[in-house]
Amino acid sequence: MANSLSAECTPLKEKYDTCFNAWFEGYLEPAVAASSSERAAYSKQKADEFEAKCGKVWQQYRECIQRAVKEKGLDKLLQQAREENPLKEPPPPPVVQTFKKTS
Amino acid sequence: MKFFSQSFLYDDPWPIVSLAFFLRYPNPYAAHVISCDVISRNQTSSGSLLTTRLILKRGAMPRWFPKGIVSRAESWVIEESEVDPHGMVVRCRTKNLDHVKVMQVEEAVEFRQTPEGKTLQHTEARIVSGFGWGLTKRIENHGLTRFKANLQRSREGVSLILSLLRQSRLQPITLGAPTSVLGTPSAGDFSNDTSQPKNGTWTKLRYWFQPPS
Repeated sequence: MANSLSAECTPLKEKYDTCFNAWFEGYLEPAVAASSSERAAYSKQKADEFEAKCGKVWQQYRECIQRAVKEKGLDKLLQQAREENPLKEPPPPPVVQTFKKTS
Repeated sequence: MKFFSQSFLYDDPWPIVSLAFFLRYPNPYAAHVISCDVISRNQTSSGSLLTTRLILKRGAMPRWFPKGIVSRAESWVIEESEVDPHGMVVRCRTKNLDHVKVMQVEEAVEFRQTPEGKTLQHTEARIVSGFGWGLTKRIENHGLTRFKANLQRSREGVSLILSLLRQSRLQPITLGAPTSVLGTPSAGDFSNDTSQPKNGTWTKLRYWFQPPS
């Protein structure tokens, strides 16, 4: 795992990355679920799981990194970049389901 | 402006290629990556994962570039990605945040599962210099050459991580890695599919790069 931009946040980043990556490995391979309600249930389950396992360390790491980003003036750089050349919204998911959402 | 696009087919299925892509830093082919942080991450209502990362990369200015204009050859890069595990697509956009007048490189990469169960990577890049002084074209050409070389290295990095993931999934034995040394849950806690012996791949892999001291 690469270092954090702030040495102070690196230990939290390592904890967070370890937790996230383990979660992410499972997240990438959902059991084949065809209907959108099953998908919604899967998403909810993964979100809850993440919150339970990694929520706390994510919050700590995020606070640390947000502080560091401000201290280094990177928030201005980010904002400027967005104003000058707004990052496009990611395109919507491909049309693989044409049925209506049930939730 | 220079535009570049290229496709590449990985023999492996989408989930493992996508995992390797997100685990690609650090690797021996990416020694220029100084830091990499997640600054925001959310799951959408449709179940996709949106991530913004801020990455600091070390670069080098070409010898012919005028001295004293770029004080440090480092660049902040923003990476925005979307992972859709149901549609089996990863989309990722990156661009540099500083030195943008000298050169802005915007890259869009997509990983998509093919009907044959392989993974197609498609990369597009747009390279623009607003430098002037008769150097714009030269800077853009240089940027394009570098981009192509870096893309090749980046793929070698992902392939290396991929082969390590593949090996560690084939060997269910642990590599002596205590799973909770950092007080975080072991990867096994996350398995949602017991049919595949892949629990803890990440935890094992981690120690190949960072042996516990």
